[in-house]
Amino acid sequence: MIKKILDSSAAQWLDDRTHAVQYIRFHLIDYPTPKNLNYMYAFGSIALVVLILQVLTGLFLAMDYKAATLPTGNGFSLAFDSVERIMRDVNSGWLIRYMHAVGASAFFFVIYLHMARGLYYGSYKKPREFLWIMGVMILVIMQATVFFGYLLPWGQMSFWGATVITNIFGAIPVIGDWLLQLVRGGFSVGDPTLGRFFALHFLTPLLLVVVVLWHVMALHVVHSNNPTGVETSEKNIIPFHPYYTVKDLFGIGVFLIVYSYFVFFNPTGNGLIIEVNNFNPANPMHTPGDISPVWYLTPWYEILRSVPDKLLGIIGMGFAYVCLFLLPWLDRSPVRSARYRPVYRMMLIVFFAAIATLGYCGHHPVTPELTLVGRIASVVYFAFFFMLPFVHKFEKTKPLPEDL
Amino acid sequence: MKKIIMSFVLLLAMGGASGLSQAEESVALKSVDISLDRATLQKGLHVFTDVCMGCHSLRYITWKDLMDYPEIGLKREAVDELREDAPLNAPIKTSLSEAEAKENYGIVPPDLSLMARAREGKGAYIYSLLTGFAHDPKGRVEDGNYNIYFPGHRIAMGDPLGWLDHEPEDEQDLKQQARAVASFLTFVSDPHQLERQAIGKWVIIFLIVLTLVLWLLKRAVWSDVEH
Ligand code: HEC
Ligand code: HEM
Repeated sequence: MIKKILDSSAAQWLDDRTHAVQYIRFHLIDYPTPKNLNYMYAFGSIALVVLILQVLTGLFLAMDYKAATLPTGNGFSLAFDSVERIMRDVNSGWLIRYMHAVGASAFFFVIYLHMARGLYYGSYKKPREFLWIMGVMILVIMQATVFFGYLLPWGQMSFWGATVITNIFGAIPVIGDWLLQLVRGGFSVGDPTLGRFFALHFLTPLLLVVVVLWHVMALHVVHSNNPTGVETSEKNIIPFHPYYTVKDLFGIGVFLIVYSYFVFFNPTGNGLIIEVNNFNPANPMHTPGDISPVWYLTPWYEILRSVPDKLLGIIGMGFAYVCLFLLPWLDRSPVRSARYRPVYRMMLIVFFAAIATLGYCGHHPVTPELTLVGRIASVVYFAFFFMLPFVHKFEKTKPLPEDL
Repeated sequence: MKKIIMSFVLLLAMGGASGLSQAEESVALKSVDISLDRATLQKGLHVFTDVCMGCHSLRYITWKDLMDYPEIGLKREAVDELREDAPLNAPIKTSLSEAEAKENYGIVPPDLSLMARAREGKGAYIYSLLTGFAHDPKGRVEDGNYNIYFPGHRIAMGDPLGWLDHEPEDEQDLKQQARAVASFLTFVSDPHQLERQAIGKWVIIFLIVLTLVLWLLKRAVWSDVEH
């Protein structure tokens, strides 16, 4: 069927004028793929689906959302009221809002697995360095997007989360105060902040779409790595369609089942997706005892919190991202896949455990024990990157296969 | 090497576990059977209008909603009786003004539309709060303002159901009232929850069938690739 459409004279007419059909053939049909890609390779396609879902549901939310902190009585605001209107009075508004809120968490879940796959199979190595860098850029833009988005409902956690995180800017020497006021549009988080965050929450997803398209185009220049990490001979290459279109569709189906379970049966994720305290309207006079960002930001927040000095904490957190960017050059082993690198494999497992631990600590109120655990985990995080340039010197890699 | 790394993972895990036990000690809530059937919701609504509405509003629920949400399903006459001269599509509001409230209680009672989602423990918290009035063991907080489940124990709301020193024969009735109003507030905090779950069942069944078909398709397409 698809073949018929693409061969039709209408498609030919369009192709003579725009090359549209050639693009489709190149990226979605003929794209040559190794035949041994496992289901970890489906998370890229799944992330694309989530991105589209976020943009569409966000668009519908924006039609009824009002970005204003105007008080409407008993501590409530126009923004908070407008979200509740969406939840209660707009037709299927609850569905759209829960899809969007669950989608944000799902997006990070999928992207973190996508990145873990890249780490495990060494997909960040030559010639895919830039692909990896674009991925880290996507992560940063995503984190900015949720940070802007989470302010919009103007609940307690929206307000105090934004206050704590924008405070970070204030600790930067010399320009800190100026920057802080620029970001907030005033001395404290308020109506001007909400206005600019709403505008930015519209802009960053568009940036995301652009970088994601670029990411996919770049992938199709350097081609997919595979679980063995070795170069593939011609005979082990298959076209993307129909093999990976069906395989990815199956993966998307499994994802949608889990996603729908949360949307329909547990939309707040027991406080992980929408925090309990965010059902209270923002109250600048009442600081909650326990302010923590949503789970997908907590590992980075915990690195920041682990350092006793505020400025050094910011530098530490920035450095955590810099390490991710530099990864392709820090790792000097010629072998890609962790399947054949026993030491690297162990280091990775510890690294993943450290990130999970950081996330756990960042999600909970500070106690002396948790601070200590968070500090150890931060050290482990950085130790991973500091060890990478040296492991290949003593690591005995397992013999690589000739071909897949 | 392997051993060192493994012991490190173990150390991290242990640290995480010790953090867990450090979690804030809070009074365990009473368990309660929240049910969203029509009889309970209507009973809870009446507790709300008879008692709570003296001080609290439901800003996101209108009188008309009481007819329009099939889960509550009140008749027009019943609504008219409850709303008296309030407009049909106005929110359910207390007649206590903010100024009076501040004067009498020192604080404006919070709106209850979202209360069941805005506290840890949800409906069980509301139930526990209403049946949690007691004598202050240290004798500092006056009777009627001491509550076992309220953070800090001193609450500005004075025992709305008359739980403190109730007669033993009233206990069952008071518990039923507390359970009904906690259920009603649970419904009101997310009024599409039953509809959502009903639709969700079919969505998931559909997706499972679709995914199974895709899996069979995948197997068929891949049958000519050996790996
Ligand atoms: C006499 C006025 C009055 C009545 C009647 C009343 N309340 Fe309250 N309620 C208050 C006040 C005042 C507060 C604020 C308490 C505080 O913050 O110390 C409050 C707070 C609450 C809270 C929030 C507690 C928290 O965790 O912040 C809940 C839940 C609540 N009331 C439920 C009810 C229910 C259910 C009823 C009806 C059975 C009811 N109230 C009847 C005055 C009242
Ligand atoms: C690209 C991925 C996107 C992510 C990860 C994201 C994330 C988020 C998050 C975490 C929230 C707060 C959730 C909540 O409390 O309900 C939010 C709210 C919101 N987003 Fe997005 N968003 C994305 C795209 C978009 C787009 C493209 C739009 C508009 C075109 C949009 C419009 C909105 C609106 C209006 C809200 C506030 C309503 C609400 O809180 O439910 N979003 N977003």
